[in-house]
Amino acid sequence: MRLSRVLLLALSFLVIYSCQEKQEYSQVISDGTYFQRAQNRITEVIIHDIFSPPVAARIYSYSSLAAYEVVAATDPENYVSLMGQLNGSQPIDLPVPQNIYPPLASLAAYYHVGTALIFSEEKMHEHRDAVFAELKKKGIPEDIFEASVAYGQVIGERIRDYSKKDNYHQSRSFPKYSVSTIAGTWQPTPPAYMEAVEPHWNKIRPFVLDSAAQFKPGPPPAFSTDPNSEFFQRAKEVYEISQSMTSEQKDIANFWDCNPYKMNVKGHVMFATKKITPGGHWMGIASIASAAAGKDWKATVEALTLTAISLNEAFISCWDEKYRSKLVRPETFINQHIDENWVPLLQTPPFPEHTSGHSVASNAASYTLTQLFGDKLHLVDSTEVAYGLPVREFDSFSEAAEEAAISRFYGGIHYLPAIEEGGKQGKQVGELIWKKISTRPKK
Amino acid sequence: MALHIRTPYLLLGLILLGTACESPQEDPLFLLKNPEETGLRFENRLQSTEEENILDYLYFYNGGGVAAGDLDNDGLVDLYFTGNQVPNKLFRNKGNFKFEDLTDSAGVSGDGGWSTGVTMADVNGDGLLDIYVCQVGKLGKTSGSNKLYINQGQFNFKESAAAYGLAYSGYSTHSVFFDYDRDGDLDLYLLNHNVKSPEVFAKAENRNIPDASGDKLYKNLLAEGKMGFEDVTVTSGIYSSILGFGLGVAAEDFNEDGWLDLYVSNDFTENDYLYLNQQDGTFKESLAEMISSTSRYSMGNDAADLNGDGLPEIFTTDMLPENPEIWMKSVGEDKAEIYQIKKQYNYQDQYVRNHLQVNLGNGKFAEVALFSGVHASDWSWSPLLFDMDNDGLKDIHVSNGIVKRPNDLDFIQYSQEADASQPLEELRKKQIELLPSLKIANFAWKQVGNLRFENQASSLGLGQETYSNGSTYADLDNDGDLDLVLNNLDQESYVYENRSERLGHTFASIALKQEGFNRQALGGRVQVFAGGKQWSQRVSTSRGFQSGPEAKLILGLGKVSAIDSVRVTWPNGDREIFLDMSLGKATVLEKGKGKATAPPRLETQAKEMISPQLVWSHQEKDEVDELKREYLAPKSFTRMGPAVAVGDVNADGLDDLYLGGAMDQAGSLYVQNSQGNFDQVDNPMFDLLAKAEDVAAAFADFNGDGFVDLFVGSAGNEYESGNLYNFDRIFFGNGKGEFQFSMNSLPPIGENTSCVAVHDIDQDGDLDLFVGSAVRSGDYGANPKSSLLINQGNGIFKDETYAWLGANFQGGMVNTAIWADLDGDGASSLLLSGDWQGIRVFDLKGKSLVETIPSGLEFSSGWINVLQVTDLNGDGLQDILVGNLGGNSKLKASKEKPIWLYHHDFDGNGQADPLIFHYMGEKLVPFGTRDDLIRQIPSLKKKHTSYAEYAKIGSPEDLFSKELLDQSKKLPAFEFHSGVYFQESKGKFSFVPFPDQAQWAPIFDISLGKTPGQVWLGGNFSGFRADLGKSLNLPPLSYLWKDGAWIPVPVQASVQGPLELRSLRPLRIAQQDWILGIRNGSTPVWIR
Repeated sequence: MRLSRVLLLALSFLVIYSCQEKQEYSQVISDGTYFQRAQNRITEVIIHDIFSPPVAARIYSYSSLAAYEVVAATDPENYVSLMGQLNGSQPIDLPVPQNIYPPLASLAAYYHVGTALIFSEEKMHEHRDAVFAELKKKGIPEDIFEASVAYGQVIGERIRDYSKKDNYHQSRSFPKYSVSTIAGTWQPTPPAYMEAVEPHWNKIRPFVLDSAAQFKPGPPPAFSTDPNSEFFQRAKEVYEISQSMTSEQKDIANFWDCNPYKMNVKGHVMFATKKITPGGHWMGIASIASAAAGKDWKATVEALTLTAISLNEAFISCWDEKYRSKLVRPETFINQHIDENWVPLLQTPPFPEHTSGHSVASNAASYTLTQLFGDKLHLVDSTEVAYGLPVREFDSFSEAAEEAAISRFYGGIHYLPAIEEGGKQGKQVGELIWKKISTRPKK
Repeated sequence: MALHIRTPYLLLGLILLGTACESPQEDPLFLLKNPEETGLRFENRLQSTEEENILDYLYFYNGGGVAAGDLDNDGLVDLYFTGNQVPNKLFRNKGNFKFEDLTDSAGVSGDGGWSTGVTMADVNGDGLLDIYVCQVGKLGKTSGSNKLYINQGQFNFKESAAAYGLAYSGYSTHSVFFDYDRDGDLDLYLLNHNVKSPEVFAKAENRNIPDASGDKLYKNLLAEGKMGFEDVTVTSGIYSSILGFGLGVAAEDFNEDGWLDLYVSNDFTENDYLYLNQQDGTFKESLAEMISSTSRYSMGNDAADLNGDGLPEIFTTDMLPENPEIWMKSVGEDKAEIYQIKKQYNYQDQYVRNHLQVNLGNGKFAEVALFSGVHASDWSWSPLLFDMDNDGLKDIHVSNGIVKRPNDLDFIQYSQEADASQPLEELRKKQIELLPSLKIANFAWKQVGNLRFENQASSLGLGQETYSNGSTYADLDNDGDLDLVLNNLDQESYVYENRSERLGHTFASIALKQEGFNRQALGGRVQVFAGGKQWSQRVSTSRGFQSGPEAKLILGLGKVSAIDSVRVTWPNGDREIFLDMSLGKATVLEKGKGKATAPPRLETQAKEMISPQLVWSHQEKDEVDELKREYLAPKSFTRMGPAVAVGDVNADGLDDLYLGGAMDQAGSLYVQNSQGNFDQVDNPMFDLLAKAEDVAAAFADFNGDGFVDLFVGSAGNEYESGNLYNFDRIFFGNGKGEFQFSMNSLPPIGENTSCVAVHDIDQDGDLDLFVGSAVRSGDYGANPKSSLLINQGNGIFKDETYAWLGANFQGGMVNTAIWADLDGDGASSLLLSGDWQGIRVFDLKGKSLVETIPSGLEFSSGWINVLQVTDLNGDGLQDILVGNLGGNSKLKASKEKPIWLYHHDFDGNGQADPLIFHYMGEKLVPFGTRDDLIRQIPSLKKKHTSYAEYAKIGSPEDLFSKELLDQSKKLPAFEFHSGVYFQESKGKFSFVPFPDQAQWAPIFDISLGKTPGQVWLGGNFSGFRADLGKSLNLPPLSYLWKDGAWIPVPVQASVQGPLELRSLRPLRIAQQDWILGIRNGSTPVWIR
């Protein structure tokens, strides 16, 4: 009797204890914080390794897609797998193991793919190991932990296989861009005269677009050196705004600079300063918005994935046009025809002018974020604080996108038509994505 | 006994330890003097401040200079040092290496300005040396202007720059005083530098726009009876634009017309300038016509005769590291695409390495720093060309070192990210602190003869680690050898005593003296003749970097026992001979006391050659940018033409010519007429086939009808294998100069043809072909298909390559093929070679060709362009002549340390990667930079986290897995020299290289002369990747092999170099023998 009571007590303790334990670790990852931290690290590594904006968007896309596929597989009632919907993808037909902790598996999938796509693997490993150690300490049982990570890696591997067929690898051996001497075509710009970035990006398989050329924007004004021509006037606009800019406009230009590789040169001294890419900035906004909207980890991963895909498609679409029109940058034109000594406020990035990548990407991302969170979300954008810039606040995603777009004009690196056409192009990309793919079951 | 000898040395060593503790040698030639004892205490101490730093002033670390001269005419050379943030100092030489600081009493401190260069010259013609000091106009709170200290005697000076019109305030580097207009007074070239963003490229034509900050030429008005100088820059033809970043200037006579010319080295993008004196008060910048490439970041320079031909060479310094590890983590050559951009802006070819320009005496220079081994001395400033040990050969000393190394790639790429949150200004300050520092030893290259040098800094006692800027030599103790003085940053200046007297070498110590305003005869030249050799030197008090020696000349004469004569060319052009010169004694030669000799005959430009006329030009055209397609390929194959064939097409006994066109240029047939002129014979079929680029051609009777037919081989590396325009072609001749295209003669192979060798291989009475291919389009290093084509009797050929050469035949990259009966058995063997190939011999054995490796050819692999077979030494055995890459390249191969090509698709992206590995020291490392490798194989970036880590790799295994390396094709090159494999006994060969000059560029063709043993050599190649650099330093040469040695044969050419010769063909025209030199992208050259 006494024994049985003790036993019962012990048993009930055990039950309570194990319930508590389960209870406890199931909440270890509830919101999107861990995913935001993982993404921040990827962003840092992208900067360190010097990936260009289109390539950065690709890295964000496959990493978050891997995390998302765990979400869809483990919560099929609320989320739909994107594999099978995205171009060239097959549904992942894998049983979900019983003893896994889904958010951890999702995180493991994210690390697995992210690490494979960057160079400085040890920087990712270091971060992942610290996070995993922290999670273990919080009480996730060893067997569950290992099963989750293993499952995440399996999903990650599927996404890697998918990524390997997007022509990226092959594109590394495509011919480098040959600078043309035809008047009005893009020329390398000071001070580093870097070669044109990713001239064959339109050969990368898009996730959603039927082809890179699906949304051809309006062409730039016809090149001309005639001071009365539209083209000349557009260049003059860029020059003039640089002479008469307000400090607010300057702040806007600097805030959205997002130059992953700016070369500073003084005589024999050179050093690169690096910031997040335009895509990285919007991934940051997606992350901030998810937190501000109080989203759980699943919705956060969903938001990151859809934003990344939007950015990826935006860059494919934009780069297709850039190497179609191959338009000369304002810096080159103004130096040759208006003011030999003019230097733009921002350093001219190394690829043709039309359309503005930031305009396309910002508008595509903002469309997607608006679909997810509505357009009335107050945003405190602290993405650039780590890069020495202040916080800026916006009342909607579209407001942020518009500012990002016009910032390129203030920065002296784009003519206005590239911004206007780029904006339209970005919206079309966003709309298409929401038309063609879905993360939620049709109710 | 042995102990007895050693003891004094040991003692000396101990004494030495007390004074120069770093010296590794017990008792070296140069003894670093202790400043405590000499009293020479000067330290150019520099402090980076908020207002004065390398970001605000790009030449913050350029340091000071030093000038030597006898300021009080007491027979002892005094010294003047310039300082940047410290006052300049003047030291009187009291003899016996004791000096006295007279700066304050002399009043020559520089008045608080930032001083740079210094020159001593008698500016006002009063017989006393004056001092001209260059300064920086404005820097932070410091302001300055150039100072002219006029010598008042007894070490009193009066600053008179303004009075003389020389108080220039800008950014001056250095100055040279010389009498360019021969009016008897000393004029001034003022070398300035700009400070405005050198990184932004401007059109080269902008150098025509003068600017206040540019270089200046001032004419001294003394001869006109006035005091002071007139700025004649604008009318003199001198560039004075903002493009100039002048860091060195030399006054010499480069074209041997007796008038002083100028060489100006410019940092950054701007070309160096070579100004030829037009003898009318103006100069003509002529660099491009005389020099094919220069240093890119040209620093200081010096000009002097290094090879004893009386003509001045030019040496310019740059910043290429010599240490492999530093080299691999430092900024190197411009990235290939940047190189292209600079070319588009019309800049000359410039490479980041020291350049040694050898004066060829025909208005051209050959650049041989890579051959001479003097191309890398790290961040270098002041080169001095002088005979360190009086052994009769001039040596090269280079000062180097920068306190903060901005060319560190980790700094450039990765220094920033940790802390991007600070405002840019803060960042910049921090950046300066982050810049890495490294002290290294200066370089002392001893000449071992024939323009070959070895760095012996350490054993000469010159190996201390310093940041040294300005330097000069001077005979401070009047013992007949040159002591060395260095102006160091952040440590005491160095004075080294030269103790060459122990070596038993003789010397000439000569000071010139004349009446008038230029009593020291600056600009005069001394030539000492003894024992059939000559030594020459010009009087100049500006040499190296920001520095200058005394006017007295010391010439080491080695073991010479007597001087035959001394010839002096005075600044006004007068020449005198002085006889009865005594050795080893200071001598003053006075103008008028020697025997006047006639001024040299006006150099009649090598008698105008009356050469045959042939109006044709190869029009090279590239559609594919190879660099964009094959980023790592070391050389281009788009420009291997033109094809040439010589034969008698109309049976009139005269040599006729076929010249193949480049892409879109039709081939041309020229028939020689009885007057020795060439008449072009039109052929519409040639026009139709113009799209093909012709690189090989041969005349022979292929269809057995008794008339000469024509084979034309196509290439260009533009089209894929199998492309129609790569098809070779045969034309049947009718004996009248008319040719009919024979469409079905050749199988449709479509590789890039490189050569053709004609021979009746199957001995059936008709002629068969071996058609070589050098490269598979777009895949350098791959194995293209070379073919053996058997004539079916009617001029129709069948591909029987594998039947004859075996199913596993791998031709490799074939540049050249020839049939020759090497072993004298009556049957010809096939010899072929190419890039990464030795001389391969295939002997005829029945119905097959079997490869054999004759003894002595096992390590013949190189980058062989041409083979020729003849019995050169007349011993009855056939010898093999080889045209190879040569010795004037960054790539150095030997049997022990070969260069390796690894050819494999390392990253599995469908494109094979040709990676070249070379030995640096004992390490086998990639020749390409880390950035280059990553461009080609991005995943390599994962391998190393920094350049510093990458720089530690020592073998291919540190880059790739064993598995990948096992899969890759590995090809060695052991021998890059051109030369002859003499057949010593049957089947046994031994190599004798051509003379040194023939190694100065790749040899592309070898032609045999009429005289037995005579060879004609031609070459040069501009298609190397920018990191190898164009190699255009070879004039056409001829040698005679006689009694076991090479005898140079004088060569005349209808066009002066650099000639990019692809073929040499003997041709008889109007009863005269000529060599027709065929150039890529240009007109033919007649050579004899």
